[in-house]
Amino acid sequence: MQQPTLGPHLTSWLLTYPDTYEVGLPNQGLQILYELLNERPDSSAERTYAPWIDLEAEMRAHGLPLFSVDTHRAAGEFDVIAFNLSAELVYTNVLNCVDLAGLEVRSSRRNDADPLIGAGGHCAFNPEPLADFVDFFVVGDGEEVVGEITEVVGAWKRAGKRAGTREGVLRELAGIEGVYVPAMYDVAYDGAALVEVTPKYPDVPPLVAKRTVADLADWPYPRQQLVPVTEVVHDRLSVEVFRGCTRGCRFCQAGMITRPVRERPAAQVREMISTGLKRSGYDEVSLMSLSTADYSGIAELVRDTVSAGALETAGADAKRISVSLPSLRVDAFTVDVAAQVSRARRTGLTFAPEAGSWRLRQILNKLITEEDLYGAVRSAYSQGWHRMKLYFLTGLPSEMDPDTEAIAHLAETCARIGQEYTKRASVTVSLGGFVPKPHTPFQWFGQNPPDELARKVRLVRSALGRNRRVQLKWHDPAASTAEGIASRGDRRVGAVIEYVWRRRGTFQEWSERFDLGLWEEAMAASGLSLDWYVYRHRGESEVLPWDHIGAGLHRDFLWQDWQDALAGHGLPDCRWTPCYDCGACTEYGIEHIVASPVAPNGGSQGTGQDLATGHLVPVELRPRRLASAGASAGGGA
Amino acid sequence: MRLRVRFSKTGKIRFIGHRDVARVTERAVRRVGLPVAYSEGFSPRMKMSFGLALPTGYESDGEFVELPLIADAVVEGSAPGGGDQGVSGPVIVCQTDAHRPCEHEPESSAPSYCTVAEALSEALPVGMEVSAAVLTDGRGPSLQAATRSCGWQFDIVGLDPAAAEKAVAEFLAAGTVVTERVHKGETVSSNVRPSVEVLQVVGCSDRGAVLSAVLSATPRVVRPSELVPALAPAHEMGIARRTHQWTCGAAGRAEPAVPATCAQKHKELISG
Ligand code: SF4
Repeated sequence: MQQPTLGPHLTSWLLTYPDTYEVGLPNQGLQILYELLNERPDSSAERTYAPWIDLEAEMRAHGLPLFSVDTHRAAGEFDVIAFNLSAELVYTNVLNCVDLAGLEVRSSRRNDADPLIGAGGHCAFNPEPLADFVDFFVVGDGEEVVGEITEVVGAWKRAGKRAGTREGVLRELAGIEGVYVPAMYDVAYDGAALVEVTPKYPDVPPLVAKRTVADLADWPYPRQQLVPVTEVVHDRLSVEVFRGCTRGCRFCQAGMITRPVRERPAAQVREMISTGLKRSGYDEVSLMSLSTADYSGIAELVRDTVSAGALETAGADAKRISVSLPSLRVDAFTVDVAAQVSRARRTGLTFAPEAGSWRLRQILNKLITEEDLYGAVRSAYSQGWHRMKLYFLTGLPSEMDPDTEAIAHLAETCARIGQEYTKRASVTVSLGGFVPKPHTPFQWFGQNPPDELARKVRLVRSALGRNRRVQLKWHDPAASTAEGIASRGDRRVGAVIEYVWRRRGTFQEWSERFDLGLWEEAMAASGLSLDWYVYRHRGESEVLPWDHIGAGLHRDFLWQDWQDALAGHGLPDCRWTPCYDCGACTEYGIEHIVASPVAPNGGSQGTGQDLATGHLVPVELRPRRLASAGASAGGGA
Repeated sequence: MRLRVRFSKTGKIRFIGHRDVARVTERAVRRVGLPVAYSEGFSPRMKMSFGLALPTGYESDGEFVELPLIADAVVEGSAPGGGDQGVSGPVIVCQTDAHRPCEHEPESSAPSYCTVAEALSEALPVGMEVSAAVLTDGRGPSLQAATRSCGWQFDIVGLDPAAAEKAVAEFLAAGTVVTERVHKGETVSSNVRPSVEVLQVVGCSDRGAVLSAVLSATPRVVRPSELVPALAPAHEMGIARRTHQWTCGAAGRAEPAVPATCAQKHKELISG
């Protein structure tokens, strides 16, 4: 068990996940920083999670502040309260936690000696909606930068956090690479339009470039994964096998902002699995990444993990170690991998074709053919699975009704294939409304309004008819709108978040707590238009609220990829084909770390390889910068 | 062959539920490397059976779990027999001789303990300590079926011991004591008097009078909290702690496993 060391000489961090313990505990980013900060001689870290509404009511009734789960220390006593932002709908919870800590939610109103409020995680790539509340954001990988922040905050602490020095420490933090301090920037608008975000001082960088850990081998964390005593969402050992993904799916923010691909050496992965299982007592390990089947040597790794004797597993019967592979690409889920995974317990299987038709998948650059999907599904059913989940997005650029209806056709065919193997075969279709994300080629696209998303859900439902083998589940279209406000919002959206929070709009990612009416009311009260922020297409020259945050990607690369998308042109995976200079490596002098020169399980993605399934290479490659200039952002709305 | 383990649940850990206790125990067994048998089928689970479920929030000195061992487990220590009660000596159980815990390479992270009780205590969360581990032949009824009554200790907030003495005397003199409890969302009332085998005031904590009780587990398990409305309607129960789970052995009241150091006291309790 890890015990944070305490002491007045240490810079103390309260790492906060702004959702429940059950959801937040497994978060690997938070666990990595927790361990790193506790290892440092000059810092200590504790954790906390958002108290659910019943506990919050008790805490407020008894005058108890937000406290750490480690030592029950009050949040207000820490030097830094740092939030992990993995989804936009947690923003109101961030404000609630700051308030529960006994602090002013607006940065400008906090006192000199109050804790500094920090935030990191994927949502920090558009920090503007929380800019009025958070003192500093960390953009990109946190492993190195938390140490640099500790040094600055530690010096401030040792100097006594005297009155009038808060501004100075913030300015110093703004000088750290990858740290964004919103108070150090002026924002100019022209009516509804954003004109520019500029630094107030010459020593504050105009562009905050993300941090990237060059080699995962240097960071074998978490070494001591936290083992919860109550049930949590991912109750298993997690080992990150690589970071970054260059498959190039155009809707996927994670794949764009975490480039390049950095694989962990196979020997280190094995070591982390073996010691992790021994330490934790888990019997299941999840091999984490954005697309685990792309890991070099994945089949051998899975085989060795589930094989008795290949890894010493502290006396437990090694045959009982099961492996779960989240984010499986269907073109990489071969019978071989299926057989390996199924030797242990069968956990649920989820595939994400994302779109129903090949035409639309080309636009997404999710280049999976129907044959790829059916092959994977066949592999799974033949190895004893009988239930699987297919994940789709709707409301995608250029989506037309036949594309939407094709979802039903895919699902029904999968279920029919299953029937060949087992009477119990069933398929669950999970349908989410597409929310365009910053730093992706789709960042210019106008999101579908809720009624349009709802219509598309109905379309799939009626196309499925009475098929009892296929269940349809969908994400609340109204929640996609609220997510859209926060996803591409600018600093003015802060008022909306505060409004929703002040009216008890917490835990908005929980369907039973979500209330679109509150968000619409807040937008109206703040004089902001949903159409402007969410539903409108953006043009090439528009200043975007996150233009001063650098994910490494050249803006003209993203725009070109957006135009290529609309023209239906694919882009190959640069880890196995030549670099097309998106900027992620070239800007920072780093490169892919990938052990295998080819995609380990086939999967063409423009690589020109022969696929095991034998069909054609499905990508039409074209020279860059030749796309027709007139392609319009044809939305499905 | 089964391993029967007695453990405590005190402090913060008392707030985890019964299913969480099972999960935590399963992981601890794997960390120690005990050769416990698994169920067959698509989703093999570790076989384990617990005594009577402890209400969440209650402490305990007397929780039990039985773990069936695989057929070729290497076992050393107090042999089964003598009925299904045993007083623990050091018990070593390992997968094979090569896995014997005390012979692990010294630089490895494996515990250097020789007994199951010590190794499991180390692997369990703070607040769950193993006080005894004994081997049984695995015959006889399940722990749950065998348990006849439970020993409890609980305090009543703000009640002084003298008032408690009076209330207990009145309670024991009455033929019928009807109290209410919420069961599956409905309020039901029942006569709890027949379930109370022993009830006495034993001291005072910083919250109030401390009572000790033996409450029968059949036909249903009566909890100490059900007695409080009858004993002191204006007061609330503080912390309750299960001290024993009593079975009915040949020699009268007995426990499934008793810590070695308590064996003497245990004998006195039975005879007393
Ligand atoms: S810079 Fe080149 S190699 Fe690196 S991610 Fe971008 S396209 Fe791929």
